[in-house]
Amino acid sequence: MCDLTSHHHTCKFLAQNKRRRMMVPITPMPHYSDMDTPELKNKLNRYGVRPLPKRQMVVKLKEIHQYTHQLTSSDSEDEEPSTACSAQVKPLLIRPILCSTSNQFKEPRPPTASPGKHNTKVVEEEGEEPLSASQGSNTSSNAASEESERSNPELIMSSDRDSDSDGGVSASQSASRLQDRLLAVRGFILSHPELYGRILQYQPLVLSQLQEQLKAAGIRLGVAKLVDYLDSQCITFTTAKPGQPAAGRGRKTRTRVKTGTSAGASRKKAHFNR
Amino acid sequence: MEVQSFYGVYMLYCINPKFKGRIYVGFTVNPERRLQQHNAGRQRGGAKRTSGRGPWEMVLIIHGFPSDIAALRFEWAWQHPHSSRRLAHVSRRSKKESSLQFHWRVVSNMLRAAPWNRLPLTTRWLKQEYRLDFEPSLQPPVHVPVAFGMVRVKKKKTPPPASPEEAEPQTTMCCLCNTTIMQSEGLSCVHAPCRLRTHLLCMARSFLKADPSHLLPIEGACPSCGRSVLWGSLIRHKHGCLDDLQEVIGSASQNHWTNELQEFSPL
Repeated sequence: MCDLTSHHHTCKFLAQNKRRRMMVPITPMPHYSDMDTPELKNKLNRYGVRPLPKRQMVVKLKEIHQYTHQLTSSDSEDEEPSTACSAQVKPLLIRPILCSTSNQFKEPRPPTASPGKHNTKVVEEEGEEPLSASQGSNTSSNAASEESERSNPELIMSSDRDSDSDGGVSASQSASRLQDRLLAVRGFILSHPELYGRILQYQPLVLSQLQEQLKAAGIRLGVAKLVDYLDSQCITFTTAKPGQPAAGRGRKTRTRVKTGTSAGASRKKAHFNR
Repeated sequence: MEVQSFYGVYMLYCINPKFKGRIYVGFTVNPERRLQQHNAGRQRGGAKRTSGRGPWEMVLIIHGFPSDIAALRFEWAWQHPHSSRRLAHVSRRSKKESSLQFHWRVVSNMLRAAPWNRLPLTTRWLKQEYRLDFEPSLQPPVHVPVAFGMVRVKKKKTPPPASPEEAEPQTTMCCLCNTTIMQSEGLSCVHAPCRLRTHLLCMARSFLKADPSHLLPIEGACPSCGRSVLWGSLIRHKHGCLDDLQEVIGSASQNHWTNELQEFSPL
Protein backbone atom coordinates (compact mmCIF):
# COMPACT_ATOMS: atom_id res chain seq x y z
CA MET A 1 0.00 0.00 0.00
CA CYS A 2 2.76 2.32 1.02
CA ASP A 3 4.55 1.47 -2.14
CA LEU A 4 1.54 2.18 -4.20
CA THR A 5 0.95 5.60 -2.80
CA SER A 6 4.50 6.71 -3.22
CA HIS A 7 4.43 5.57 -6.79
CA HIS A 8 1.25 7.45 -7.23
CA HIS A 9 2.86 10.55 -5.84
CA THR A 10 5.88 10.33 -8.05
CA CYS A 11 3.67 10.07 -11.05
CA LYS A 12 1.71 13.03 -9.96
CA PHE A 13 4.83 15.01 -9.32
CA LEU A 14 6.34 14.14 -12.63
CA ALA A 15 3.19 14.96 -14.40
CA GLN A 16 2.95 18.27 -12.67
CA ASN A 17 6.48 19.07 -13.58
CA LYS A 18 5.87 18.36 -17.18
CA ARG A 19 2.64 20.14 -17.06
CA ARG A 20 4.30 23.26 -15.82
CA ARG A 21 6.83 23.01 -18.57
CA MET A 22 4.14 22.60 -21.17
CA MET A 23 1.58 24.77 -19.47
CA VAL A 24 -1.20 22.33 -20.11
CA PRO A 25 -3.62 22.63 -17.26
CA ILE A 26 -4.74 19.06 -17.05
CA THR A 27 -4.79 17.40 -13.67
CA PRO A 28 -3.75 13.79 -14.01
CA MET A 29 -6.55 11.49 -13.06
CA PRO A 30 -6.07 9.79 -9.71
CA HIS A 31 -5.64 6.06 -9.96
CA TYR A 32 -9.17 5.27 -8.98
CA SER A 33 -8.79 1.67 -10.04
CA ASP A 34 -6.14 1.13 -7.39
CA MET A 35 -8.11 2.69 -4.56
CA ASP A 36 -9.83 0.82 -1.77
CA THR A 37 -13.55 0.70 -1.48
CA PRO A 38 -13.84 3.04 1.54
CA GLU A 39 -11.76 5.66 -0.18
CA LEU A 40 -13.89 5.42 -3.28
CA LYS A 41 -16.99 5.77 -1.15
CA ASN A 42 -15.61 8.88 0.44
CA LYS A 43 -14.69 10.43 -2.83
CA LEU A 44 -18.08 9.77 -4.33
CA ASN A 45 -19.76 11.08 -1.23
CA ARG A 46 -18.19 14.43 -1.91
CA TYR A 47 -20.16 14.58 -5.12
CA GLY A 48 -23.30 13.45 -3.40
CA VAL A 49 -23.28 10.02 -4.97
CA ARG A 50 -24.30 7.08 -2.81
CA PRO A 51 -22.00 4.08 -2.42
CA LEU A 52 -22.09 1.72 -5.36
CA PRO A 53 -20.39 -1.52 -6.26
CA LYS A 54 -16.67 -0.90 -6.51
CA ARG A 55 -16.33 -1.10 -10.24
CA GLN A 56 -19.18 1.25 -10.81
CA MET A 57 -17.67 3.70 -8.36
CA VAL A 58 -14.41 3.69 -10.26
CA VAL A 59 -16.23 4.29 -13.49
CA LYS A 60 -18.33 7.07 -12.02
CA LEU A 61 -15.33 8.79 -10.48
CA LYS A 62 -13.48 8.69 -13.75
CA GLU A 63 -16.46 10.16 -15.44
CA ILE A 64 -16.72 12.93 -12.91
CA HIS A 65 -13.04 13.60 -13.22
CA GLN A 66 -13.37 14.02 -16.91
CA TYR A 67 -16.21 16.41 -16.66
CA THR A 68 -14.40 18.49 -14.12
CA HIS A 69 -10.84 18.36 -15.36
CA GLN A 70 -10.42 17.45 -18.94
CA LEU A 71 -9.67 20.07 -21.46
CA THR A 72 -8.96 17.61 -24.15
CA SER A 73 -12.11 16.49 -25.76
CA SER A 74 -14.33 14.78 -28.04
CA ASP A 75 -12.07 13.32 -30.63
CA SER A 76 -11.95 9.81 -29.42
CA GLU A 77 -15.55 8.95 -28.95
CA ASP A 78 -15.50 6.23 -31.50
CA GLU A 79 -11.95 5.18 -31.34
CA GLU A 80 -11.21 4.07 -27.86
CA PRO A 81 -13.46 1.23 -27.00
CA SER A 82 -11.32 0.55 -23.98
CA THR A 83 -12.08 3.82 -22.28
CA ALA A 84 -13.74 2.92 -19.09
CA CYS A 85 -16.28 5.63 -18.80
CA SER A 86 -17.98 5.67 -22.11
CA ALA A 87 -20.06 2.59 -22.05
CA GLN A 88 -21.80 1.36 -18.97
CA VAL A 89 -22.73 4.44 -17.07
CA LYS A 90 -25.39 6.91 -17.90
CA PRO A 91 -23.64 10.14 -18.55
CA LEU A 92 -24.06 12.93 -16.09
CA LEU A 93 -25.04 14.99 -19.01
CA ILE A 94 -28.23 16.81 -18.54
CA ARG A 95 -30.40 17.53 -21.46
CA PRO A 96 -29.38 20.79 -23.00
CA ILE A 97 -31.40 23.73 -21.84
CA LEU A 98 -31.33 27.33 -22.87
CA CYS A 99 -28.32 29.11 -21.60
CA SER A 100 -29.24 31.26 -18.68
CA THR A 101 -26.54 33.85 -19.15
CA SER A 102 -27.88 35.12 -22.39
CA ASN A 103 -31.06 37.06 -22.28
CA GLN A 104 -31.24 38.02 -25.86
CA PHE A 105 -32.03 34.62 -27.23
CA LYS A 106 -35.14 34.63 -29.30
CA GLU A 107 -37.35 31.80 -30.24
CA PRO A 108 -35.52 28.93 -31.80
CA ARG A 109 -35.74 29.03 -35.52
CA PRO A 110 -34.04 26.99 -38.17
CA PRO A 111 -30.74 28.32 -39.46
CA THR A 112 -31.47 30.33 -42.53
CA ALA A 113 -29.39 31.85 -45.17
CA SER A 114 -31.26 35.09 -44.97
CA PRO A 115 -28.62 37.72 -44.56
CA GLY A 116 -28.87 40.55 -42.14
CA LYS A 117 -30.82 38.74 -39.48
CA HIS A 118 -28.77 38.47 -36.39
CA ASN A 119 -30.83 37.05 -33.67
CA THR A 120 -29.38 34.15 -31.89
CA LYS A 121 -30.95 30.85 -31.45
CA VAL A 122 -30.17 27.78 -29.52
CA VAL A 123 -30.80 24.42 -30.96
CA GLU A 124 -31.93 21.67 -28.73
CA GLU A 125 -30.75 18.33 -29.69
CA GLU A 126 -30.83 14.96 -28.13
CA GLY A 127 -27.82 13.76 -29.93
CA GLU A 128 -25.38 16.47 -28.95
CA GLU A 129 -22.10 14.77 -28.42
CA PRO A 130 -20.66 14.77 -24.93
CA LEU A 131 -17.73 16.99 -25.56
CA SER A 132 -15.52 16.24 -22.70
CA ALA A 133 -16.14 12.59 -22.17
CA SER A 134 -14.03 9.73 -23.32
CA GLN A 135 -10.49 10.67 -22.81
CA GLY A 136 -7.81 8.22 -21.90
CA SER A 137 -6.93 8.45 -18.27
CA ASN A 138 -3.22 8.84 -18.18
CA THR A 139 -1.76 12.19 -18.95
CA SER A 140 1.41 11.63 -17.02
CA SER A 141 3.16 10.11 -19.97
CA ASN A 142 3.19 13.42 -21.76
CA ALA A 143 6.64 14.66 -22.38
CA ALA A 144 8.10 17.40 -24.40
CA SER A 145 11.14 15.38 -25.13
CA GLU A 146 11.30 15.74 -28.85
CA GLU A 147 13.05 18.80 -30.04
CA SER A 148 10.57 21.19 -31.43
CA GLU A 149 11.26 23.39 -34.34
CA ARG A 150 8.25 25.47 -33.79
CA SER A 151 6.28 26.44 -30.78
CA ASN A 152 3.35 24.34 -29.81
CA PRO A 153 0.27 25.51 -31.67
CA GLU A 154 -1.88 23.90 -29.04
CA LEU A 155 -0.30 25.83 -26.22
CA ILE A 156 -2.08 29.12 -26.46
CA MET A 157 -5.29 27.37 -25.84
CA SER A 158 -4.40 26.52 -22.34
CA SER A 159 -3.13 29.89 -21.25
CA ASP A 160 -6.22 31.48 -19.89
CA ARG A 161 -8.24 29.20 -17.78
CA ASP A 162 -11.18 30.83 -16.35
CA SER A 163 -13.81 33.00 -17.46
CA ASP A 164 -15.88 30.04 -16.51
CA SER A 165 -14.60 29.08 -13.14
CA ASP A 166 -16.62 26.49 -11.38
CA GLY A 167 -16.07 27.37 -7.77
CA GLY A 168 -18.15 25.24 -5.50
CA VAL A 169 -20.39 23.81 -8.15
CA SER A 170 -21.09 20.13 -8.37
CA ALA A 171 -19.68 18.15 -11.22
CA SER A 172 -22.95 17.52 -12.92
CA GLN A 173 -23.98 21.13 -12.64
CA SER A 174 -20.81 22.40 -14.20
CA ALA A 175 -20.99 19.78 -16.90
CA SER A 176 -24.46 20.81 -17.88
CA ARG A 177 -23.54 24.46 -17.68
CA LEU A 178 -20.68 23.84 -20.06
CA GLN A 179 -23.02 21.96 -22.30
CA ASP A 180 -25.40 24.90 -22.32
CA ARG A 181 -22.66 27.27 -23.28
CA LEU A 182 -21.47 25.07 -26.07
CA LEU A 183 -24.98 24.92 -27.39
CA ALA A 184 -25.10 28.66 -27.21
CA VAL A 185 -21.90 28.87 -29.24
CA ARG A 186 -23.39 26.54 -31.78
CA GLY A 187 -26.53 28.60 -31.94
CA PHE A 188 -24.50 31.74 -32.33
CA ILE A 189 -22.60 30.31 -35.28
CA LEU A 190 -25.73 29.00 -36.97
CA SER A 191 -27.45 32.32 -36.67
CA HIS A 192 -24.58 34.35 -38.11
CA PRO A 193 -24.51 33.49 -41.80
CA GLU A 194 -21.32 35.36 -42.48
CA LEU A 195 -19.44 33.53 -39.74
CA TYR A 196 -20.97 30.17 -40.57
CA GLY A 197 -20.17 30.74 -44.23
CA ARG A 198 -16.51 31.14 -43.38
CA ILE A 199 -16.57 27.92 -41.43
CA LEU A 200 -18.29 26.09 -44.25
CA GLN A 201 -15.58 27.26 -46.60
CA TYR A 202 -12.88 26.12 -44.19
CA GLN A 203 -11.59 29.64 -43.68
CA PRO A 204 -9.72 29.85 -40.39
CA LEU A 205 -11.43 31.88 -37.70
CA VAL A 206 -9.51 34.34 -35.62
CA LEU A 207 -9.93 32.96 -32.16
CA SER A 208 -9.75 36.25 -30.30
CA GLN A 209 -12.33 37.81 -32.57
CA LEU A 210 -14.72 34.95 -32.15
CA GLN A 211 -14.35 35.14 -28.41
CA GLU A 212 -15.10 38.86 -28.50
CA GLN A 213 -18.18 38.29 -30.59
CA LEU A 214 -19.40 35.61 -28.24
CA LYS A 215 -18.78 37.82 -25.27
CA ALA A 216 -20.76 40.61 -26.88
CA ALA A 217 -23.60 38.16 -27.33
CA GLY A 218 -23.45 37.24 -23.67
CA ILE A 219 -21.82 33.86 -24.16
CA ARG A 220 -18.92 33.49 -21.79
CA LEU A 221 -16.60 30.63 -22.45
CA GLY A 222 -12.94 30.22 -21.62
CA VAL A 223 -10.51 29.95 -24.48
CA ALA A 224 -9.66 26.37 -23.63
CA LYS A 225 -13.26 25.27 -23.76
CA LEU A 226 -13.91 27.23 -26.90
CA VAL A 227 -10.92 25.66 -28.57
CA ASP A 228 -12.06 22.22 -27.51
CA TYR A 229 -15.40 22.91 -29.07
CA LEU A 230 -13.96 24.23 -32.32
CA ASP A 231 -11.68 21.22 -32.51
CA SER A 232 -14.53 18.83 -31.90
CA GLN A 233 -16.29 20.43 -34.85
CA CYS A 234 -13.12 20.46 -36.97
CA ILE A 235 -13.30 24.22 -37.31
CA THR A 236 -9.90 25.67 -38.10
CA PHE A 237 -8.88 28.74 -36.17
CA THR A 238 -5.82 30.86 -35.75
CA THR A 239 -4.51 32.41 -32.62
CA ALA A 240 -2.61 35.07 -34.50
CA LYS A 241 -3.81 38.60 -34.11
CA PRO A 242 -5.28 39.87 -37.34
CA GLY A 243 -2.93 42.11 -39.20
CA GLN A 244 -0.16 41.63 -36.73
CA PRO A 245 2.91 39.91 -38.10
CA ALA A 246 4.08 36.95 -36.11
CA ALA A 247 6.75 37.74 -33.62
CA GLY A 248 10.16 36.46 -34.51
CA ARG A 249 9.42 33.22 -36.28
CA GLY A 250 11.22 32.08 -39.32
CA ARG A 251 13.92 33.92 -41.09
CA LYS A 252 12.32 34.79 -44.34
CA THR A 253 9.17 36.53 -45.25
CA ARG A 254 5.97 35.06 -46.42
CA THR A 255 6.14 36.64 -49.82
CA ARG A 256 8.76 34.17 -50.82
CA VAL A 257 6.30 31.38 -50.35
CA LYS A 258 4.34 32.77 -53.18
CA THR A 259 7.31 33.14 -55.45
CA GLY A 260 7.72 29.45 -55.15
CA THR A 261 11.33 29.36 -54.02
CA SER A 262 10.95 29.25 -50.33
CA ALA A 263 11.77 26.60 -47.87
CA GLY A 264 11.19 25.39 -44.38
CA ALA A 265 11.44 28.39 -42.19
CA SER A 266 9.32 30.63 -44.28
CA ARG A 267 6.44 28.29 -44.70
CA LYS A 268 6.28 27.86 -41.00
CA LYS A 269 5.85 31.53 -40.62
CA ALA A 270 2.74 31.37 -42.67
CA HIS A 271 1.08 29.73 -39.74
CA PHE A 272 1.43 32.82 -37.63
CA ASN A 273 0.82 35.27 -40.35
CA ARG A 274 -2.72 34.65 -41.24
CA MET B 1 -10.34 33.52 -51.77
CA GLU B 2 -7.44 31.17 -51.59
CA VAL B 3 -5.63 30.80 -54.81
CA GLN B 4 -3.02 28.53 -53.40
CA SER B 5 -4.68 25.21 -53.06
CA PHE B 6 -2.23 22.51 -52.15
CA TYR B 7 -1.23 22.01 -48.54
CA GLY B 8 0.35 18.73 -47.61
CA VAL B 9 2.14 17.15 -44.69
CA TYR B 10 4.64 14.55 -45.77
CA MET B 11 6.86 11.87 -44.34
CA LEU B 12 10.44 11.40 -45.48
CA TYR B 13 12.26 8.10 -45.14
CA CYS B 14 16.04 8.05 -45.00
CA ILE B 15 17.75 5.56 -47.29
CA ASN B 16 21.28 6.53 -46.36
CA PRO B 17 22.72 3.28 -44.92
CA LYS B 18 24.15 5.19 -41.99
CA PHE B 19 20.82 6.61 -40.95
CA LYS B 20 18.52 4.18 -42.62
CA GLY B 21 14.93 4.22 -41.49
CA ARG B 22 14.92 7.67 -39.98
CA ILE B 23 11.75 9.61 -40.48
CA TYR B 24 11.14 13.29 -40.98
CA VAL B 25 7.73 14.91 -41.03
CA GLY B 26 7.22 18.25 -42.74
CA PHE B 27 4.78 20.59 -44.41
CA THR B 28 4.84 21.67 -48.04
CA VAL B 29 2.89 23.36 -50.78
CA ASN B 30 5.01 21.62 -53.39
CA PRO B 31 6.19 18.10 -52.60
CA GLU B 32 8.56 17.69 -55.53
CA ARG B 33 10.39 20.89 -54.84
CA ARG B 34 10.49 20.23 -51.14
CA LEU B 35 12.08 16.82 -51.57
CA GLN B 36 14.76 18.31 -53.76
CA GLN B 37 15.48 20.86 -51.09
CA HIS B 38 15.82 18.21 -48.42
CA ASN B 39 18.19 16.21 -50.55
CA ALA B 40 20.21 19.24 -51.57
CA GLY B 41 21.04 20.08 -47.98
CA ARG B 42 20.67 22.99 -45.71
CA GLN B 43 22.26 25.56 -47.97
CA ARG B 44 19.61 24.90 -50.55
CA GLY B 45 16.63 25.04 -48.29
CA GLY B 46 16.64 21.61 -46.72
CA ALA B 47 15.79 21.30 -43.04
CA LYS B 48 18.64 21.08 -40.57
CA ARG B 49 17.65 17.64 -39.46
CA THR B 50 17.66 16.20 -42.92
CA SER B 51 20.73 18.01 -44.16
CA GLY B 52 23.74 15.84 -44.82
CA ARG B 53 21.85 12.66 -44.02
CA GLY B 54 20.26 12.07 -47.35
CA PRO B 55 19.20 10.74 -49.61
CA TRP B 56 15.65 10.88 -48.40
CA GLU B 57 12.59 9.48 -50.05
CA MET B 58 9.22 11.09 -49.72
CA VAL B 59 7.05 8.11 -49.00
CA LEU B 60 3.73 9.45 -47.75
CA ILE B 61 1.81 12.68 -47.89
CA ILE B 62 -1.48 13.71 -46.36
CA HIS B 63 -3.03 16.43 -48.49
CA GLY B 64 -6.27 18.24 -49.07
CA PHE B 65 -5.89 20.58 -46.11
CA PRO B 66 -8.04 23.60 -46.77
CA SER B 67 -5.52 26.04 -45.32
CA ASP B 68 -1.90 26.26 -44.31
CA ILE B 69 -3.05 26.76 -40.75
CA ALA B 70 -4.83 23.43 -40.71
CA ALA B 71 -1.89 21.68 -42.33
CA LEU B 72 0.69 23.20 -40.02
CA ARG B 73 -1.23 22.14 -36.98
CA PHE B 74 -1.42 18.62 -38.38
CA GLU B 75 2.31 18.69 -38.98
CA TRP B 76 3.01 19.75 -35.42
CA ALA B 77 0.84 17.05 -33.92
CA TRP B 78 2.37 14.38 -36.13
CA GLN B 79 5.82 15.50 -35.06
CA HIS B 80 4.86 15.71 -31.39
CA PRO B 81 2.14 13.12 -30.82
CA HIS B 82 2.89 12.82 -27.13
CA SER B 83 2.55 16.53 -26.56
CA SER B 84 -0.63 16.94 -28.54
CA ARG B 85 -3.75 16.99 -26.45
CA ARG B 86 -5.68 15.57 -29.36
CA LEU B 87 -3.51 12.47 -29.40
CA ALA B 88 -3.36 11.65 -25.71
CA HIS B 89 -4.63 8.18 -26.51
CA VAL B 90 -1.72 7.31 -28.79
CA SER B 91 0.83 5.21 -26.98
CA ARG B 92 4.55 5.55 -27.36
CA ARG B 93 6.56 3.69 -29.90
CA SER B 94 7.02 0.10 -28.92
CA LYS B 95 10.31 -1.72 -29.16
CA LYS B 96 9.26 -3.88 -32.04
CA GLU B 97 7.87 -0.96 -34.00
CA SER B 98 10.00 0.73 -36.64
CA SER B 99 9.95 4.49 -36.83
CA LEU B 100 8.03 4.19 -40.08
CA GLN B 101 5.44 1.95 -38.45
CA PHE B 102 5.16 4.25 -35.48
CA HIS B 103 4.61 7.34 -37.62
CA TRP B 104 2.04 5.43 -39.59
CA ARG B 105 0.21 4.50 -36.42
CA VAL B 106 0.27 8.10 -35.28
CA VAL B 107 -1.07 9.44 -38.55
CA SER B 108 -3.71 6.70 -38.68
CA ASN B 109 -4.94 7.92 -35.33
CA MET B 110 -4.82 11.52 -36.43
CA LEU B 111 -7.04 10.97 -39.43
CA ARG B 112 -9.68 9.64 -37.06
CA ALA B 113 -9.33 12.37 -34.48
CA ALA B 114 -10.73 15.85 -34.24
CA PRO B 115 -9.88 18.44 -35.45
CA TRP B 116 -8.91 16.52 -38.59
CA ASN B 117 -11.51 13.82 -39.03
CA ARG B 118 -13.94 16.04 -40.93
CA LEU B 119 -11.41 17.61 -43.28
CA PRO B 120 -11.35 16.53 -46.93
CA LEU B 121 -7.98 14.81 -46.69
CA THR B 122 -6.30 12.25 -48.90
CA THR B 123 -3.72 9.70 -47.80
CA ARG B 124 -1.20 9.30 -50.56
CA TRP B 125 1.67 6.84 -50.78
CA LEU B 126 4.23 8.44 -53.02
CA LYS B 127 6.39 5.35 -52.91
CA GLN B 128 4.32 2.26 -53.00
CA GLU B 129 7.07 -0.01 -51.78
CA TYR B 130 6.65 1.56 -48.34
CA ARG B 131 2.93 1.23 -48.28
CA LEU B 132 1.38 0.14 -45.00
CA ASP B 133 -2.23 -0.77 -44.43
CA PHE B 134 -4.45 0.78 -41.82
CA GLU B 135 -4.86 -1.36 -38.76
CA PRO B 136 -8.41 -2.71 -38.64
CA SER B 137 -9.05 -0.71 -35.50
CA LEU B 138 -7.56 2.43 -37.00
CA GLN B 139 -9.43 2.70 -40.25
CA PRO B 140 -9.69 6.30 -41.42
CA PRO B 141 -13.07 7.96 -41.95
CA VAL B 142 -14.71 6.65 -45.10
CA HIS B 143 -14.33 9.94 -46.91
CA VAL B 144 -10.53 9.78 -46.77
CA PRO B 145 -9.25 8.03 -49.88
CA VAL B 146 -5.92 6.26 -50.23
CA ALA B 147 -4.07 7.25 -53.38
CA PHE B 148 -0.73 6.42 -54.93
CA GLY B 149 1.98 8.21 -56.82
CA MET B 150 3.49 11.67 -56.82
CA VAL B 151 1.26 14.66 -57.48
CA ARG B 152 1.89 18.18 -58.56
CA VAL B 153 -0.27 21.25 -58.56
CA LYS B 154 -1.32 22.12 -62.06
CA LYS B 155 -0.28 25.51 -63.23
CA LYS B 156 -3.19 27.80 -63.70
CA LYS B 157 -3.68 28.69 -67.33
CA THR B 158 -5.11 32.04 -66.51
CA PRO B 159 -5.43 33.91 -63.29
CA PRO B 160 -8.33 32.26 -61.53
CA PRO B 161 -10.98 31.81 -64.18
CA ALA B 162 -14.14 33.71 -63.58
CA SER B 163 -15.81 31.64 -60.94
CA PRO B 164 -18.85 29.75 -62.14
CA GLU B 165 -21.34 31.96 -60.40
CA GLU B 166 -20.02 35.08 -62.07
CA ALA B 167 -20.46 33.63 -65.48
CA GLU B 168 -24.07 32.87 -64.83
CA PRO B 169 -26.93 35.28 -64.74
CA GLN B 170 -27.12 37.01 -61.43
CA THR B 171 -30.63 36.06 -60.57
CA THR B 172 -30.13 32.41 -59.87
CA MET B 173 -32.58 30.80 -57.56
CA CYS B 174 -31.57 28.38 -54.85
CA CYS B 175 -32.80 24.90 -55.67
CA LEU B 176 -33.45 24.27 -52.01
CA CYS B 177 -35.11 27.40 -50.67
CA ASN B 178 -36.25 29.09 -53.88
CA THR B 179 -34.86 32.48 -53.03
CA THR B 180 -32.25 34.46 -54.90
CA ILE B 181 -28.61 33.52 -54.57
CA MET B 182 -26.14 36.33 -54.15
CA GLN B 183 -22.91 35.86 -56.04
CA SER B 184 -20.73 35.05 -53.09
CA GLU B 185 -23.01 32.57 -51.42
CA GLY B 186 -23.74 30.18 -54.28
CA LEU B 187 -22.72 26.60 -54.60
CA SER B 188 -22.96 24.30 -57.57
CA CYS B 189 -22.62 20.57 -58.01
CA VAL B 190 -19.27 19.19 -59.12
CA HIS B 191 -20.78 16.68 -61.50
CA ALA B 192 -20.68 18.27 -64.90
CA PRO B 193 -24.19 17.94 -66.31
CA CYS B 194 -25.87 18.75 -63.02
CA ARG B 195 -27.30 22.26 -62.94
CA LEU B 196 -27.78 22.49 -59.23
CA ARG B 197 -27.42 25.91 -57.67
CA THR B 198 -27.94 26.44 -53.99
CA HIS B 199 -26.99 28.67 -51.14
CA LEU B 200 -23.92 27.55 -49.29
CA LEU B 201 -25.94 27.39 -46.10
CA CYS B 202 -28.91 25.58 -47.60
CA MET B 203 -26.65 22.89 -48.97
CA ALA B 204 -24.85 22.58 -45.65
CA ARG B 205 -28.13 22.10 -43.86
CA SER B 206 -29.16 19.49 -46.36
CA PHE B 207 -25.90 17.57 -45.90
CA LEU B 208 -26.02 17.82 -42.13
CA LYS B 209 -29.42 16.23 -41.78
CA ALA B 210 -27.69 12.94 -41.25
CA ASP B 211 -25.18 14.50 -38.91
CA PRO B 212 -27.13 17.05 -36.92
CA SER B 213 -24.70 17.70 -34.10
CA HIS B 214 -22.01 18.98 -36.42
CA LEU B 215 -21.50 22.28 -38.17
CA LEU B 216 -19.16 21.19 -40.92
CA PRO B 217 -20.53 18.72 -43.44
CA ILE B 218 -18.35 15.91 -44.77
CA GLU B 219 -20.30 14.40 -47.58
CA GLY B 220 -23.80 14.14 -48.97
CA ALA B 221 -25.96 13.47 -51.98
CA CYS B 222 -26.54 16.28 -54.43
CA PRO B 223 -30.20 17.25 -54.05
CA SER B 224 -30.48 17.53 -57.82
CA CYS B 225 -28.50 14.72 -59.43
CA GLY B 226 -28.38 12.52 -56.37
CA ARG B 227 -24.73 11.69 -56.71
CA SER B 228 -22.54 11.62 -53.70
CA VAL B 229 -20.17 14.51 -53.29
CA LEU B 230 -17.66 15.59 -50.67
CA TRP B 231 -18.23 18.92 -49.03
CA GLY B 232 -14.55 19.65 -49.59
CA SER B 233 -15.03 19.14 -53.32
CA LEU B 234 -17.97 21.54 -53.42
CA ILE B 235 -15.88 24.20 -51.75
CA ARG B 236 -12.87 23.61 -53.98
CA HIS B 237 -15.20 23.76 -56.93
CA LYS B 238 -16.58 27.05 -55.71
CA HIS B 239 -13.07 28.43 -55.42
CA GLY B 240 -12.05 27.16 -58.81
CA CYS B 241 -9.44 24.69 -57.64
CA LEU B 242 -11.22 21.37 -57.77
CA ASP B 243 -9.15 19.50 -60.30
CA ASP B 244 -5.87 21.20 -59.83
CA LEU B 245 -3.77 18.13 -59.10
CA GLN B 246 -2.06 16.00 -61.64
CA GLU B 247 -0.26 12.75 -61.23
CA VAL B 248 3.41 12.82 -61.89
CA ILE B 249 5.37 9.94 -63.25
CA GLY B 250 8.57 10.29 -61.35
CA SER B 251 11.45 7.92 -61.99
CA ALA B 252 11.43 5.12 -64.49
CA SER B 253 11.16 2.65 -61.67
CA GLN B 254 7.78 4.04 -60.77
CA ASN B 255 6.37 3.73 -64.19
CA HIS B 256 5.25 0.17 -64.21
CA TRP B 257 3.01 0.46 -61.21
CA THR B 258 1.96 4.07 -61.15
CA ASN B 259 0.41 3.74 -64.54
CA GLU B 260 -1.87 1.05 -63.35
CA LEU B 261 -2.59 2.71 -60.07
CA GLN B 262 -3.51 6.05 -61.49
CA GLU B 263 -6.73 4.64 -62.72
CA PHE B 264 -7.72 3.84 -59.19
CA SER B 265 -6.58 6.92 -57.42
CA PRO B 266 -9.50 9.16 -56.65
CA LEU B 267 -8.10 12.55 -57.44
